[in-house]
Parts: sequence; structure tokens; C-alpha cells
Amino acid sequence: MTVGNRNIPISSNMQRRDLLKFMGAGAAAITVGGLPRVAFAQDKTVAFWATATLDIGEKWQEFASQAGVTPEFTDNGNDVGPVVARLAAGNANDLFDVGGLQGGAEKELARQGLIIPWDIAKIPNYEGVWQWAKDIPYLKHEGKQFGIPTVVNADSIIYRPDKLGKVDSYGVIFDPKLKGRVAMEDAWINSAVFAAMYLKESENQPIKEPGNLSESELGLVMEFLIKHKKDGQFRTFWNGWEQGVQLVANEEVDAMTGWEPIVYEGRKRGLQVEYAAPVEGYEGWGNNTVLLKGAGDRGTADAAHEFVNGLLAGFYGCELGKARGYLVPTDSNVAYAQAHPSEYAPEEVQKLGDHVKAKFGGKVYWQNCRPDNFQLYEEWWQKLRNA
Amino acid sequence: MKLPLSTLAGLMSAPALAIIAMGLAPLAVVVVWSFWAWDPSTYWIKPELSFAGYAGILEAGRWTVILSTFAKAFLTAAICLLIGFPTAYAVHFLASRRLAVVLLALMTIPFLTSYLIRSFSWRLVLGRTGVINTLLQDAGLTSAPIDWLLFSDFAVIVGLVASYLPFATFPLILAMQRLDPVAIAAARDLGAGFWTVQRTLILPLTISGVFAGFLFVFVMTLGSSTEVQMLGGAGASIVSVMINDVMRVANYPLAFAISTVVLAVVFGLVLLGNRAFGLSRLFEDRS
Amino acid sequence: MMSRDEPFPRFLVWTITLIGFAAIYAPPLYLLAVSFSPALQPGLPSPGEITLKWYAALAGERALLAALWQSVIIAIGTAVAATVLSLLAALAYREMQARRGAWFLIVILPMFVPGVIQGLALSTLLTRAGIKASALTVMAGHLLWAMPFAFIVILTSFAVVRNSYLMAASDLGASRWRQFRDITLPLISPGLISAFIFSFLLSLNEFTRAFYLAGRQNTLPVVLFGKMNSGASPTIYAMSGAIFLVSVLCVGVIAIRALSERR
Repeated sequence: MTVGNRNIPISSNMQRRDLLKFMGAGAAAITVGGLPRVAFAQDKTVAFWATATLDIGEKWQEFASQAGVTPEFTDNGNDVGPVVARLAAGNANDLFDVGGLQGGAEKELARQGLIIPWDIAKIPNYEGVWQWAKDIPYLKHEGKQFGIPTVVNADSIIYRPDKLGKVDSYGVIFDPKLKGRVAMEDAWINSAVFAAMYLKESENQPIKEPGNLSESELGLVMEFLIKHKKDGQFRTFWNGWEQGVQLVANEEVDAMTGWEPIVYEGRKRGLQVEYAAPVEGYEGWGNNTVLLKGAGDRGTADAAHEFVNGLLAGFYGCELGKARGYLVPTDSNVAYAQAHPSEYAPEEVQKLGDHVKAKFGGKVYWQNCRPDNFQLYEEWWQKLRNA
Repeated sequence: MKLPLSTLAGLMSAPALAIIAMGLAPLAVVVVWSFWAWDPSTYWIKPELSFAGYAGILEAGRWTVILSTFAKAFLTAAICLLIGFPTAYAVHFLASRRLAVVLLALMTIPFLTSYLIRSFSWRLVLGRTGVINTLLQDAGLTSAPIDWLLFSDFAVIVGLVASYLPFATFPLILAMQRLDPVAIAAARDLGAGFWTVQRTLILPLTISGVFAGFLFVFVMTLGSSTEVQMLGGAGASIVSVMINDVMRVANYPLAFAISTVVLAVVFGLVLLGNRAFGLSRLFEDRS
Repeated sequence: MMSRDEPFPRFLVWTITLIGFAAIYAPPLYLLAVSFSPALQPGLPSPGEITLKWYAALAGERALLAALWQSVIIAIGTAVAATVLSLLAALAYREMQARRGAWFLIVILPMFVPGVIQGLALSTLLTRAGIKASALTVMAGHLLWAMPFAFIVILTSFAVVRNSYLMAASDLGASRWRQFRDITLPLISPGLISAFIFSFLLSLNEFTRAFYLAGRQNTLPVVLFGKMNSGASPTIYAMSGAIFLVSVLCVGVIAIRALSERR
């Protein structure tokens, strides 16, 4: 029998009966379940499975009319573990065409054949991407382009100037005077890098690359964090946007390492928060789009290329900047804003671009979800949890 | 229609068995995979026998997380029973039939809203500027916010109990329905006080409900992660979070090994309980 | 019924019951209050600023409502299937004499499997079998999760069915089917209803299995999880508040009718 456009081998009557039972009960469910969804233009649909921060919600319709492809956005939860697991063993390749996730996992996804390389020739807007974004190492594997940089940013510290004055060093996170009034993100990906940056720059510890620590360096950094955790330095580790904003808004913490949009969101909610420009530098990261193998199999690869081209065209960058303060690393954003000044103030877009460029012009250490010793990172983080 | 007993039993069990087979087959795959080695070239697994997954549980204190999870589950289940039993008694014996229905309905309503936001709201209630601290300070009982209300084991247990309480109460109410009011009236006629009636009549006859309630809350706590992540504090961990952490670094054999161990321990406990108390006989007709 | 209980134990029982209700009602009541606050940051509104604007904005939240709808459909499907299948399994349990223990353990085994593993493993199996992910695949995963609960609940309620009743009925000439329909079914109906409600709630709130098994339309917990991670507009509190209010209203209507019938 066929379900969708696949043939299911039914090996027993029992299975057939159960499936038919399910079919009967569920046929109505599927149709009804599909009703509330808005009927987009049916020509070219691209299923985009990405971190929720890449979503522009209702504005995808306008994107569709401009780019000629209709994106269908589904949130992938942003957690690299389940995303890779679902690609490797689950149904993600059957369902989605383009993935958007944190940089670093491209290598293993490529090696397992779960993603296929982009054809840059089909993405004319890639030309306009800033060079330093194009140069991020994990985008290419064996000379082929697997990741297209979609959002790049550099993180540091969110803090309350009314309580702490001006903050310009990660030392504030480890300051004993602020015991129980600081927080870090519950992710070794970020927090280990921040601690390493602090130790390298301000305490002159022998650390070469904070984003890729050797075994001994990792031990040094994690022992440092464990000591502070045991001292009760951290109020908590936060997980996710709302948790982060809530910590600052409800005065649980005075300073925490985190993402810049939390500051913008905090200000929108009437809080007095600032983002620090630390002397030790920023932590750079990127969310990239990858082309899933399933798209190649289903023949939607060309539509996917048009979609990514559209992401780099300017409208998406402006909308993302306005909604979350995130930046698509290309000049086309400003060009679009200048052409449509009633929708997006060109000065704002320019300011955001310059701000990010300035951050990356200074000291930036790149985050990578797959440093060389990545499994060791997790072991140490588990020790930190148990401390 | 007179079917022989065995055929009847066979027919009844078939559909359920089919579903369970659908669930057990992948589980068997996972158990097998937990004995395979991690492949550093593809970051997936390769069919090479290896105990590295299980060895990993002994490192970095992972087994302490497993133990502490069991402890949390036990504590939560016990507290839910301590609150659930009187609640069930009130609903079944003290309330009129109509009030009982209303109370039952009221018990389910909060669970139609998302558990995620419910857990999140405990942060707003227990926090330094939350409802409880504000009330205490306004009433003059404290001069500074109490820190340990949030981001502590206390907060986690509160969140867990609030999330799973009805799962203990409902089975208890159902079990109480088999109690014969005549027997209880007779006991009272003979002079038994409230506590004696509880101890000798009600508790023994509703033990199946107690077991069911305990098991439900225990299992759900074992599988929970939200309460610990939102309310637990710096680096608080529980088995589900640990499995996720480990999967994030593609260490699938370790993730499968942890799951197999947890499954084996819980199932072993149930088997032991079955041998000791004859659990399956709890549900039999004992009249 | 138990009006002969001494006053102190009765007071104790009602107090603990109240504590239990307070614990489960504190979050949704707080969220209800929050949903009337105009501020973007969730918090209690001051008396002057009560507003309904987030409720009004709900109508436009297409993604959220689609996810809610999907979750409800899946939950209803799961509840129906779980109740029916668990009833059959429980009847089989009753019929079996020798292998009861083993059957019991087999049925409840899926309960102990961590959600991540169950979801991933089932998703792998379904993908290999070529079954496309949809509401049905999520339902399958939720069925595995809910069935042991429903099974135990129905078994607990089966204790009310005394063999003596069934024997008496059979002496009077009732067939097995009539015994089931006229005696067993009415006696276990509270159990069946409980099993249905349990399965419905378990499915509605389940996240991990749904994540791995869903198609392009995510369920509500998955969508809410995403929003908590990337920025949630206060409409999510309005949705929570709306669900809460509608349910309380239904219960209120039933309660008032019941009370007025008594007089």
C-alpha cells in the first residue's frame, strides 16, 4: 500500500489491520489538522528547518512574493544533539529541504552524507557577503561549500548599569562581590569560551585558542569554573531567551554572559540593560544554512538555492535586524533599506551593520560546536554540574 | 457466544501486543546499539562490540546523576502520595457526589495548559522579586528576599509535585471505589477510630491505587527535564538532561547505555516488587 | 457518607487537600493574572493596567493556533486508541490465569523508556519502513507512552467488578458479552473515563517524542519550547489563560446545574 508517495511493505495482516485502523481514524485528523494553515502560493515550497531565532513569522509571505519561493518554517529546537540525531537516524531528511543551525556540525553531517554542497554559482547574492564571514573555517569541507553564513554575531555580557556602573571585563562574572548575582549560559559552547577568554587575556593563563581548547587548557578553564560554582558564584545557568530575559528583568542577576538580542528585548520591555564591550574581546558565532540531502533527492535543490539567495537579498536581513537585532552579513541589507525607507530606517540598518563590523574588527574568538576535544568538553561540563 | 478462554484472551491481547511490539522493536535496537562503538570518522556508531558506552557512565560522576534522579523521583512520588491520599479520601468519602465530580474536573484543568509555561511561572512566583518574597517582605516577616526558594532542590521538588500530583490522586480515587461502605460502617460500629479505619481497612484495600500512583509519578519524574532546567539552579542535572548533553556531542553509545541502565534498573525494581508483593495480583478481585 | 469521622482528622484531610490544590493552581492562576498585564515582561499587572490586548492578538497567532489544533487532534486520537487498546489488554489480563504477571509486565514496559530514546528509535524505524511523518506517527509515539498508564488505571477500576456478580449473571443465563455490557462496563466506566483523561493530558503535554516523530507541523509543546528559546510574545500567556478560563467555565456550568438540580 502507499502512504504519501512511498510503498510500505506490509508483512502481516495484523499490521495491515492496525494501519488501516489508524488510517481511518487519522485521515480526518490529518485533513482537519491541515486546515488552519494558511494556503501559500503553491509554485515552489522550501521547507526550512531552523533555529527559531531565524524565523520571521508572518513576514515569510512578503519574502515569498519577492524571492519567488515559498518558505515553510519549522523550528528545530536549536539543540545540536537532537537535530543531528534526527538527521542521521530520524525523519528530518524526508521532511525538510534546508537546515539552519549553529556552526561546527557541518563536517560530520557532510561526512555522513546527510547534507550536500551548495552550488555557489546558483547563489549570486553570495558575492555580496562580507569576506570575513565567508572565511569562517567550518563552512567548507574538502573544498566544497556546505554552509552559507546566515546570521553572525558576537556575544559578551548583559548587565545592569544602574547596579554595576560600566562593565568592561568578564571579571565581573567572576567577581566575588557579586556572588549569587551573576549567571552564565548552560552550555559549554559559550561558557567555556568566555571563561577561557577571561583567563587568557586578564589572568595571562597559557591558552592559545579559547574556541578550541587543548586537554590541559580545558582542564584549567573548567577547574576555574568549578571553583566558582562551588563558591556559589552563579545564581543559575540559563537556557533560552525567555529564561535569560527573566533573570535580568526580575533582578535575579546583575550581570550574565549572553546574546545581544536579550539586551534589545530587555530594553523593549522597559529594562535598563547594557551590552558590554569587554577588553578581553567577544565570542563570535554563526548560524548557517545547510542543504539537506533530502532536497537533492526530491528535486527541490534549485528552489533551495533560490531561497538562500533570497535570504541574502536584503529584505530578510532588514526584518531580522528589526525583529531581533540579528545581522545577515551582507551589504544588501542597507541597500534594501535605502530602497524602502518607509519600512526600514536605513540609518538603523547601517548602525547595526557598523556595530557588528566594529565588534568583529576587534578581538573576537570564534565559537564552534565541534572543537577538537568536544566530547571531553561534555565530560567536564558534567563534572561541573556535579560539583 | 462461547469462545474458549484462551482464544478470547488471545484476541483481546493482540492489538495491544502489536502496538507494544512497535515500541519494543526500536528499544531492542537501542539496547543493541548501546554495545556498539562510536565511530570517530562519521560521528555515528559502527557495529563493533564495545563497552565504552557503559564505561562512560562511571566517569565524570554520571552515575551520581542517575542516583540523584531516582532520589528525586522517589521523593516526589512519596510527597504526591502524602498529599494525594487525603485528597482522594476527601473526594471519595467526604464530598457529596456532585462536589466530587467538580473537584475531579478542577484537578484536571491546570493540565490543559502547557507544563512548560507552568514550570516557568514558578520562577516568577519563587524568585527574589516574586510573589512569595514580596508578600513576606510586605508583611514584615523578612527583611531580604529568601534566596533558596528558587534555583534549589526545594524549587525543583515544588515544581515536580505541582506538575504530577493528579497522577497520584486519580488512581487512589479509583481504588477507593472498590471499598464497601458497609464494611467501613461495621468497623465504626465496633468502635474503630479514624486512624484505625485507615490503617486496617482503607489502606490495605487501596494498595493497588497507592502502587499505581507511586509508579506514575516516579516514572514521570524520571523522564522529566523542564522542572530541573528551569528551577534547579547552576548546572542542576537529571537523567533526561544528561542524555541530551551526551547526544549533543554525538556520543550515542553512551546515551543509549544510560537509557538502557535506567530502564533496566526501573524494570528490575518492578520485577523485584512483583516477586515480593505480587504486584500483578494487586489488581485481582480479593473478595 | 463518612459523616461519622472525628472533626480533627476531617480538618486535616481537607487542609492537605487544599494544599494540593494550591500547589497545582498557583501556576495557572498566576499566569492568568499575567495575561492581563500589558507589559511585555511577564509579571502581575497593577490594578489600573488590566487589558485584554493579548487575548485580542491571539486570533492572529496562526502558527500557535495551528500547533494547538494539532496537539488537540493528536491527544484525542491517542486517548481514544489508548483507552480502547488498554481495555482490551485489561480484559485479556482478566481472562489469563497462568501468564498474568508476564502480560502485566510486558504491557507496562514501554512506560520506562526515556522519551528521547523512544522518539528517536521509533522515528528511525518508521523512516526505514518508509512511513511518512505526520500526526499519525506522533500519535503512535504517544500511544506507546499513554497505554501503560491507561492500562493500570483501567485495571485499578476493574477491582470493583466482583467475580460473584459475573457468576450470578451467568447463572441467570447471560452470555459473556451481556455480562460485559451490562455489568462490567458500567462498573468500570469511571476507570475508562479516567484512562481517557489521563491519555489525553499525557499526549497534550508530551514534548520529546513529539519532537522526533512530528512532520512539518509541530505540536504545541514543541512550538512553545521554541518560543521560550527565541522570544515569546505574551500571547502565549493569553492562550494559556483562555484555555484555563474556558475549562473553568465548563466546570462552572456543570456545577451550577448540578447544584440547582439538588434543590
